[in-house]
Amino acid sequence: MTALGKAFLFAVLVFLYLPVAVLVAMAFNASPLYALPFEFTLHWFEALSGNAKLIAATRNSILIALLTTVIATTIGSLAAVALSRRRFRGRTLLQLLLLPPIAIPWLIIGTAMLVFFFWTGIGRGLHAMVLGHVALAIPYVVLVVGAGLNAQRIDLEEAAMSLGSTPRHAFFAVTLPLLMPSLVAAALFAFAVSLDQFVVSYFLATPGVSTLPVEIYTSIRKGFTPEVNAVSSLLLGASMVLIVVFARLSGMGGVGGRR
Amino acid sequence: MRTLVDRRRFNLMLGAGVAAGALGAAMPRARAAGKITVLNWQGYGTDEAWALKLFAEQTGIEVVHDNYNSEQEMFTKLRTNPGAYDVVVINSAWTSRIAEEGLLEPIDFATVPNAVDLDPLLKDSGNFVFDGKTYGVAWVWGMNALGVRKDKAAGVDSYDVLLAPESADRVALFDDAITEIGIAALMLGQKIDDPSDMPAVIDKLKAMKPSVKLIWSSEDQWNKAFSAGEFDYSIYWSGAAGRSQKAFNLPVEFIVPKEGAIGWLDGLSVPASAPNKAEAVSFINWMIDPAFYVKWATDVGAPASANTKAMDELPADDPQKLIHKTEYLKQLQFMSPMPDERRQAFVDAWEEVKAFYAS
Amino acid sequence: MSEPQGAAPAPRSLRPGTVTALLVAPAYAWLTLAIFLPLVAMLVFSFLTVAPFGNRVAEFTTTHYLVFFNRPYLVEVALRSLALGAWTTGICAAIGLPAALALSRAFRGRTRELLFFLVILPFWTNGLVRVFSWTMVLRENGILDDAVRVLWPAAPSFGLLYSQPAIVIGLVHAYLPYMILTCYLSVVAIDDAVLEAAKSLGARAPVVFWKIVLPLAAPGLIAGSVLIFVPVIGSFMEPRILGGKAGVTIGTVIEDQFTQAFNWPLGSALSFIMLAVVLVIFAVFSRALRGRLTAS
Repeated sequence: MTALGKAFLFAVLVFLYLPVAVLVAMAFNASPLYALPFEFTLHWFEALSGNAKLIAATRNSILIALLTTVIATTIGSLAAVALSRRRFRGRTLLQLLLLPPIAIPWLIIGTAMLVFFFWTGIGRGLHAMVLGHVALAIPYVVLVVGAGLNAQRIDLEEAAMSLGSTPRHAFFAVTLPLLMPSLVAAALFAFAVSLDQFVVSYFLATPGVSTLPVEIYTSIRKGFTPEVNAVSSLLLGASMVLIVVFARLSGMGGVGGRR
Repeated sequence: MRTLVDRRRFNLMLGAGVAAGALGAAMPRARAAGKITVLNWQGYGTDEAWALKLFAEQTGIEVVHDNYNSEQEMFTKLRTNPGAYDVVVINSAWTSRIAEEGLLEPIDFATVPNAVDLDPLLKDSGNFVFDGKTYGVAWVWGMNALGVRKDKAAGVDSYDVLLAPESADRVALFDDAITEIGIAALMLGQKIDDPSDMPAVIDKLKAMKPSVKLIWSSEDQWNKAFSAGEFDYSIYWSGAAGRSQKAFNLPVEFIVPKEGAIGWLDGLSVPASAPNKAEAVSFINWMIDPAFYVKWATDVGAPASANTKAMDELPADDPQKLIHKTEYLKQLQFMSPMPDERRQAFVDAWEEVKAFYAS
Repeated sequence: MSEPQGAAPAPRSLRPGTVTALLVAPAYAWLTLAIFLPLVAMLVFSFLTVAPFGNRVAEFTTTHYLVFFNRPYLVEVALRSLALGAWTTGICAAIGLPAALALSRAFRGRTRELLFFLVILPFWTNGLVRVFSWTMVLRENGILDDAVRVLWPAAPSFGLLYSQPAIVIGLVHAYLPYMILTCYLSVVAIDDAVLEAAKSLGARAPVVFWKIVLPLAAPGLIAGSVLIFVPVIGSFMEPRILGGKAGVTIGTVIEDQFTQAFNWPLGSALSFIMLAVVLVIFAVFSRALRGRLTAS
């Protein structure tokens, strides 16, 4: 059974990484039109090092994504705790209100934000983009952390309390450590949502300032070249390194070590 | 990041100004002199690095760009960013509509020396005129017609090839209601921007279902799909066909069939709220200069210039010159302004056709 | 924002209602400013004849909400979009839950951590480039065909690109990690002792799965379904790029209203109708699943 499980997961990972492998491979392929047969070259990485615009855009994307992750994970988790653990009137309504940000197409939300921010003087720029990104990431954080909370046995917290702990202490000592995997997953989601968000960024960025997905999207008119693959591959590589480092440092016992 | 902070303060100020009804009034702006912002499609001439460098050397003016991906978007950006842009590229079918909203500045051709060489048919096009004033400088023109793979192009002289058996599953259409309705209107001998028999137009398009494989929406998508051999016949832009040949050696031939082609004319305009109007006009003058156009067309590939002198200076065997014959200017139906209801009717018709293709 | 609770326990430093309010306020205040208020503006637009810009006079009208009557060809498009959502969510659940189980049961420690992150990593690649990579795999004489021909040279082309299946493949690929992760977060909390006890009482694997694992995994399945079904119905990137002429969804229709027609009222109305349909579907489902959705 375990062997079957391992094989199945391996197959799933192959499926997930197939286009990623193609993406990385094409970063090393000479044809600007992604035509095969494969011809190895480092030309696109060289071109990338001279492409100041794309590099600046990538830097902006990462900065905004980090900011978004911190803010969204924090306030989203707080809300998730309330929605999952506390009974109050209006709870269902608040849960339903998480749906519009993911249901309404981003094009509508982006246009709505553009118009509303213009009318209210909030305008465009870094602040507007972060405003938008965090708002779009919050539902993911709440849903993921909520799922993690709901899956946990509340009687553990109650057991701690019956042994004399206050609810607050029970939360911090018992629930929060168990919640770590969910928090990490939610943070990673928020980061992904922000990093790949182009519609909202596109509408709310000031002229001349850009993010990576916006650069890629607007260059589909002219033609995106494998330079885009090159920068995506570099980002991917950097993420892998970062994750390994983070995992070592945080010692994610909640995910791996417990059972 | 420095610019972003300035922008925030700038926008808050602007918001207050708008609320006070001071729209369009001169306001203090935190902007460096000798810098202009241009709004255009990405990679469409105005952002050629060498051209901007030459311009900066000659005039000391720095050029920054913002892009759009559809005319609607350009319109929205103009409406929601007063004072942000100095030059904007507008398809002549839209110029008078945008001018009507008070968003554009009339052009004084005395300040545009190169304009004397513009073809009068284009320079004086009614599309640029609103209320007796001209709001755009004719820049480049092109056509939408057939783009056919070279080894299938022999003898193709009609849009009927899109209905023929040999094109089954080998056709790529352009995802633009105005163009596609227009093509079908040409096939039926009707006007492209006001067909007299819309149901017949819709049926004509629906009849292409067995032939249509994909519907492209960007030049890049066209290039990649064509080079992968996915289709042989398509509705394509004339300037793009030249670029595809030049940049990627793609074996595509641009054909203007006997029914005609759809013409379009892009113009350079100055927003009414532009903070640097004089610099904007000098940039426009540079854009219609033969020195700019010839290098753009020969190095990169471009549609036809409205400047006859510029077209003359192209080498005789240049594909752009061969495709964009000047006699077409008299024959072509050009995309023109149309009332919103009709535009909506076009979009609805095309949406119905696309839904039919998908069913 | 939130109401005071019922029979409050012994007074503490802060009233429970205040605590709840403080917990939800930051997130929902943010959402209100950035999303709900702008959407209210769009909602207002959807009842106007035209977007109120420039010198256009806009009048009140409900005609946009009758869009499915006025344009009956859209009904099939809407149904197809819902079907796309159902297929994608179903396949993601069918693959995602077993994968989550495998991840939580078959691996331990460092390996499990590593695999956990590997599942998330594809998210961090750009969506557009990823979808484009799928076109390279699925097209005629593309990578998939080449790979199969290594084993069987005479194989005909799969011809998957520009079809509904291609869209589903692209969407499943894009959204599968959501399901795997939300299910994982649920099943990782399942105590081995419970499963052992069930087995020792004679229950066989299918029964264990059906009666114990599935209910405990429900929160994850539900969260995952929400995160997948809802955006998929409005998706337009995968349908456009992978679907060819078959790639028409409510999402692409809405996009066309904004980019080709400048008909913000109609585009907004379509979006809100879609939102209403989604809410109805979830209302119906949650009634059926009440009791499993939230703990205690």
